[in-house]
Amino acid sequence: MDDAKAPRPEGNVDDARGPEESIPREWLEEFEAAARRPLHTRMRYAFIKTYKPVLDDAPFRSFDTMADYRRWCEENLPDWLGYGRI
Amino acid sequence: MGAFEYRQAEEIRDALARRGVRYLFIGKSGAVLLGYPDTTQDADLFVDRSPENGRALVSALRELGFALTDPQADEIERGKDFVQLRNGPFDLDLVFAPDGIERFEDAWERRVEVEGFPVCHLDDIIASKAATNRAKDRESLPRLRAFREYWSRRQPSYPGPREGQPR
Repeated sequence: MDDAKAPRPEGNVDDARGPEESIPREWLEEFEAAARRPLHTRMRYAFIKTYKPVLDDAPFRSFDTMADYRRWCEENLPDWLGYGRI
Repeated sequence: MGAFEYRQAEEIRDALARRGVRYLFIGKSGAVLLGYPDTTQDADLFVDRSPENGRALVSALRELGFALTDPQADEIERGKDFVQLRNGPFDLDLVFAPDGIERFEDAWERRVEVEGFPVCHLDDIIASKAATNRAKDRESLPRLRAFREYWSRRQPSYPGPREGQPR
């Protein structure tokens, strides 16, 4: 990858130039806490498994277009899952 | 089936690398790899759509334990826009044409490597979520954009948000 085009992979938290005022303090604290954790720990905290009705009831689904997928979600999934378009 | 684990992410990374599959982690799973603290349920892969890449991906998925029938494998090889897999050791979504990203090649050029995991740039993850216009993505965008501010400060070569993208 061209380093000039893309950012470096994860840096050290100490590289940060100080808190960003536009970021709510609670979020900033969460970001900083996450930056101190190794990746495997971050992933353990991030990935959860809860049953999603309909969505998890078939072993395989495929859609020709993203529009088809979005439409299927709106027509078949409960609203509270949040897959409907605004 | 339990939650997706780091070990399984490594298995994806290694199996796909052995076959030279071109893909990127995208969505919230990609953001988590970049350091974003949040919860999610499954991994999303943005896959380069080509017959050769599709065949390599199917081979890797079968090695990982996904029980793909031949018709299902054919659909993946052809690169349907969205494929949802619930027939393996973990849940996996394959996206061949994510909203908000025009070409895989562009995203590939902007990718970020984290411990060998190829990940979409945070700008692309945000662009994709913004373009879907779903309720659940709309709710998560303010915090994700705040994380971009934080993350970008730790990337000295980061040029800043792309023009026209909300901050």
